[in-house]
Amino acid sequence: MAFRSDTLVEESRAAALPRKGAMRRIFDRNIHAYVFLLPWLIGFFGLTLGPALASLYLSFTNYDLLQSPDWVGAANYVRIATADPKFAASMKVTFLYVLLSVPLKLAFALLIAMAFNRGIKGLTLYRAIFYLPSLLGSSVAIAVLWRQLFASDGLVNMALWQLFGYEGPSWISNPNYSLYTLVILSIWQFGSPMIIFLAGLRQIPADMYEAAEIDGASKQRQFFRITLPLLTPVIFFNAVIQTIEAFKAFTPAFIISEGTGGPINSTLFYTLYLYQEAFGFFRMGYASALAWVLVVIISLFTAFSFLSARYWVHYDD
Amino acid sequence: MSMMLHRRSVLSGGLAALSLATLGGGSALAQAARLRMLWWGSQERADRTNKAIAAYKEVKPDLTIDGEFAGWSDYWPRLATQVAGRNAPDLIQMDYRYIFEYARRGAIAPLDDHLGKGLQIEDFGQMNIDSGRVDGKLYGINLGVNSSAVFFDAAAWEKSGATPPAMGQTWEEFAENATKMSENKPKPGYFATADSSGLEPSFENWLRQNKKSLYTPDGGLGYEPKDAADWFTMWSKMREAGACVPADVQALDQLNIETNPLTMGKAATAFAHSNQFVGYQALNKAKLSVTSYPKISKDAPSGHYLKPSMLMSVASGSQGIEAAVGFINFLVADPKGIDILGVERGVPASASMRDQLTPKLDEVSQSMVKFIADITPEVGDLPPAPPPGAGELAFVLTRTSQEVAFGKLTPAEGGERLVKEAETVLKRK
Repeated sequence: MAFRSDTLVEESRAAALPRKGAMRRIFDRNIHAYVFLLPWLIGFFGLTLGPALASLYLSFTNYDLLQSPDWVGAANYVRIATADPKFAASMKVTFLYVLLSVPLKLAFALLIAMAFNRGIKGLTLYRAIFYLPSLLGSSVAIAVLWRQLFASDGLVNMALWQLFGYEGPSWISNPNYSLYTLVILSIWQFGSPMIIFLAGLRQIPADMYEAAEIDGASKQRQFFRITLPLLTPVIFFNAVIQTIEAFKAFTPAFIISEGTGGPINSTLFYTLYLYQEAFGFFRMGYASALAWVLVVIISLFTAFSFLSARYWVHYDD
Repeated sequence: MSMMLHRRSVLSGGLAALSLATLGGGSALAQAARLRMLWWGSQERADRTNKAIAAYKEVKPDLTIDGEFAGWSDYWPRLATQVAGRNAPDLIQMDYRYIFEYARRGAIAPLDDHLGKGLQIEDFGQMNIDSGRVDGKLYGINLGVNSSAVFFDAAAWEKSGATPPAMGQTWEEFAENATKMSENKPKPGYFATADSSGLEPSFENWLRQNKKSLYTPDGGLGYEPKDAADWFTMWSKMREAGACVPADVQALDQLNIETNPLTMGKAATAFAHSNQFVGYQALNKAKLSVTSYPKISKDAPSGHYLKPSMLMSVASGSQGIEAAVGFINFLVADPKGIDILGVERGVPASASMRDQLTPKLDEVSQSMVKFIADITPEVGDLPPAPPPGAGELAFVLTRTSQEVAFGKLTPAEGGERLVKEAETVLKRK
């Protein structure tokens, strides 16, 4: 990548040489880079770094949105660590969600990708159709649809009744099941890992399978000995991205529980709890501290993934 | 390549400059004759409010009011965010539970100076003016008087051969009738009543009948674990008897008219605020009736009180406080505004406005006005101001009631838990 863009710059400079002075040439060369970078730079400093630093400061205050903040030292962090049952409850919900939804979603994405990789006709169309849920994924409309599907007289229960004569509970509003409906929603949005898996599968040389076939390896053995090991870099990438996404999940739980995380905190995702504290109960300072705890947790998870990667991720070169 | 880049960057830079210029110009102009108004409520309320805004355009042609509305639970986060971003709407619909938080934090403006000038609300009566006061200053104008109320589909009750709710009924009779009603339910999955154990106004009404309250005047908790346990027990019995909807149906209620079990066709009775009668009737095909809460015994107090269904406040940072006050006056003291809003936000606080409005109302609205008149002889005093954190306690009550309803806690444990959590929340602020 780096090499290619260098050549481009080289070419454009060569083209500009006969007409322009030296200073102008240097300016010209850099201005393009900065113009291209500008949207990102503005976004990064204005919308990411700035607010992040502000929230770091606010996490040491009792800011309540309406009055100016007062410094309270580490009090917010102490409370999170020692005296907040809702913190523990939301952690439990979030971890359960991450640990269930990420592996299931990846497994499902891989399954579909393998099915597509067998050279079926109309692949582009199918790929697009199966990707569709991911595009709609975090939208409000889908969360509303989910509510309708899994409510007491929703489509799911209608089907269960018609097919099995089983009278299902109101899945979405029952604390024993509500989180799982959100896990299913997450699995349904398998599109982006699927596309990446599909690209990964295409990279595996066909002659490896041919050789294995000749040596008499079963399909199953081929999968575990060739496909999986060669796919580990892609699996690793997908796992890291999806884990971070899952930790940040917010919209579905917010819409489905109308912002309460209910019933009985069963869908109280960490981000939702943070949002409640900040905007529902005017505790922006405390919510900022919660946000930084989440940053640390995601960082630890990611660091752990990268450290473990050297033991199971197989790179060709 | 090089040339193209140039053109593009010049073009985009120019566009950015242009849009900045228009934005700047737009907002500078806007300050003079443009107000923003934010309220919560149903589509019915939005239609009426927008109509009132349009009508005011004829009174003040050079003033434009942009209305925004949200559901109850989205409303408070949105308002808090806008206030924090120094982008508060000029006109803010306020609730009795939140007005203290906003007033004491300086987010809304005291309006005492406008009394008798832009605000002609002398005939509100002292109580209806004072219900908008915080620490002696007037921060909110009463948009309508209401009380908690029971709405029911009388035909559905009668079809099952059960006595529908009525004024003066005891909770015991209500539970008995409801059980009977559910036994002869007209369709499967249909129950006599919604489960109101997690609804703060219902709990408050019941506490007041027991001569307790949600909060004490000094901001403490006005009830004990035993009180809450008794409340949960009463509802658990009804739930077990099939008189009220099961826990997972009640949990679908998002505390608005649209998702209440009555509107969803799951129950024949709802516990709500009297002003919502108009909104409920608009969404329910069956003809609804309104009555007071059941009582713990025949000679107990009714538990009802007359409260401002909502108030209208003005942001302290508003550039057009005078203009905003003018519009509020139009809504509460001008027959044109009053006639458009009707009683959807409650019965007008102004006696003269109420008198001129009532004959023009349809049957639904008139029954609501009659309800307020009927309970007025028995109402108690306005409860003490809710302390900071009261907003969160409504959530705590709902969650604890669910823990009891889903069988995770016994009613007694629920009572203990509710009081313990409530005290923690109140101490925190």
